[in-house]
Amino acid sequence: MPELNFCILIGAVLFVSGVVCMATKRNAIGVLMGVELVLNAANLNFVAFARYTALGLDGQILSLFVIVLAAAEAAVALAIALNFYNNHLTIDVDRADDLHG
Amino acid sequence: MNIETLFNYLKSDLSTSLPAFSPELTICATILALLFARLFNVDRRGSLISPAGITLTGIGVAFVLSVVQLGKFTDSGSDQGSGMFTGLLLFDGFTAFFRVFLLVSIILIVWLTQLSGIPDREDGPDFFILLLGSTLGMMLMASANHMLMLFLAIEMTSVPSYVMVGFLKGRKTASEAALKYVVYGGGAAGVMLYGISLLAGLLGTAHLPEMAAQLAKIANDPALMSGPTLTTLAIAVVMILVGIAFKLSLFPFHFWCPDAFEGASAEVAGFLSVASKAGAFALLVRFCLAMVGEFTEIHATPAAMKQFNLQIGVVLGFVAAITATFGNLAAYSQTNMKRLLAYSTIAHAGYMLMAVSAMMIFLSLGDSNGAKRAIEGLLYYLMVYLVMNLGAFGIVALIRNEIFSEQIADYAQLAKSSPMLAVGMLICLFSLVGIPPTGGFVGKFMIFAAMFDAAEYQPIMYAVFVVGVLNTVFSLFYYLNVLRVMWIVPADESARTAEVPLASRSGAFVAVLSIAVIVTGTIFVAPVQQIAEQVTRLVSS
Repeated sequence: MPELNFCILIGAVLFVSGVVCMATKRNAIGVLMGVELVLNAANLNFVAFARYTALGLDGQILSLFVIVLAAAEAAVALAIALNFYNNHLTIDVDRADDLHG
Repeated sequence: MNIETLFNYLKSDLSTSLPAFSPELTICATILALLFARLFNVDRRGSLISPAGITLTGIGVAFVLSVVQLGKFTDSGSDQGSGMFTGLLLFDGFTAFFRVFLLVSIILIVWLTQLSGIPDREDGPDFFILLLGSTLGMMLMASANHMLMLFLAIEMTSVPSYVMVGFLKGRKTASEAALKYVVYGGGAAGVMLYGISLLAGLLGTAHLPEMAAQLAKIANDPALMSGPTLTTLAIAVVMILVGIAFKLSLFPFHFWCPDAFEGASAEVAGFLSVASKAGAFALLVRFCLAMVGEFTEIHATPAAMKQFNLQIGVVLGFVAAITATFGNLAAYSQTNMKRLLAYSTIAHAGYMLMAVSAMMIFLSLGDSNGAKRAIEGLLYYLMVYLVMNLGAFGIVALIRNEIFSEQIADYAQLAKSSPMLAVGMLICLFSLVGIPPTGGFVGKFMIFAAMFDAAEYQPIMYAVFVVGVLNTVFSLFYYLNVLRVMWIVPADESARTAEVPLASRSGAFVAVLSIAVIVTGTIFVAPVQQIAEQVTRLVSS
């Protein structure tokens, strides 16, 4: 199925971009954007599998739930990033080095 | 299916599901009650209703409901588990056991927060709502029977715990710990979801029992069980295990754990260390059982699948050995008590993972009695771990309230100023090492015995067994160092002293947990083991 392979390929590219973004960005917001990319890569997979394989409606329902969850997680993560900024006056994750050992 | 049959189906499904789901519904109602109490301003200082009161009432009701459900299962013996909500959740003895377990642990946590004053009454509703929400997620983890519920449960547990870690406002360390936790946690959840998408797409279903059947079908077909399918399957399973390993703080996904525990308050750290681990272990066991398929179909399982499961078991065993070793070695150089306990938590996750590894090895070879013994060891260990670890974190919180420090060096001569706390810490730490007559000894013994039996099938597991036993010996020294400071090292003249008498509310908390640690290791070995055994039988039936 060329269509399915094409969708999964896009998903894989998104996933890798997200992981690279998480690993290289030093800005906390940038890292969170990487997380969103990874979640959406999985979403794309779900929708593609729902269309072309036996997964069916389950895949679409899964991706709907994930969209809601991603929004909830982003809200919490941004609040935590803001809290970090208030205490440290930066959102550079490399400056989060008070705890170590 | 026309709309009428659908409606009738839903009606009959809901009438069986809702009663089975009643403990979770009670927790939801408690969350709503907390929100409304704050909205109508009836839980502020000076009024009769307190946030902790509402919380404890709600948990109490949920606890009674789930004890009754567990009782029904253990009485009827061979009662089979049933699906809830069209099979998205599974309601069996395992679910009922973990509900009771999780509710007991949050009752103890709420009790501890009342003694230590974190959160204060103003912040109470926020904190308890997060605590209950997280617990709800863990209860779902124990009953998840569908990949969607598995992921939802993990997220439902994680998102409130990110906030709880950063709950101490205006503290640099707390905000840093929360940021690290949320960034790593979000990343791990994303990777796990991608793994779920691959596995669901490969098998064409996300329902765990159907996945097992599909997996067996694929494995039976030599043309499919090679090349891309096998690679995809392996990648997907590894990605899902990464997500669970993150929650269990297994090596190499443990790095968030010491930072999060050090930045969070000791109460929250205790909650994450006990309840969150228990939920994640329940989920791991469910996922592993789903990979194996039904116990009864073991002999019908194709050889390729057996090999795959055996390999998962061996890999888990080695991860367990490395995790335990790493946790114990890193704990040596710690000067902060919460950080030391965080590394000890990592090491204990390693010990408990050995039970899951032994279970997988037994199951892949069709020895369901061995697998039962392994799960039994895991459940017993979790029960003991609940009291001993919560005891240790509770004492850290109580000492912090007196001397405003969590450094081990500041604990000098605690044995003189408050012998109660020092004795409680001694019992909990001895149990964490695994010295008889504490519960930790029996738990470790059961897990190591299961590992030893598994090694008969797979000789390489003797290495894991030996590493586990050696680790127990290593760990003795850093726990003893804490006790040495408490009992022997002289205190500074200027040092603050903690004075917590036995006959106080804090003293009662420490006494209850210390006695529970001893009791689980002595007179109650048989009954506790019996509960574990019954639950295990229910899982396998």
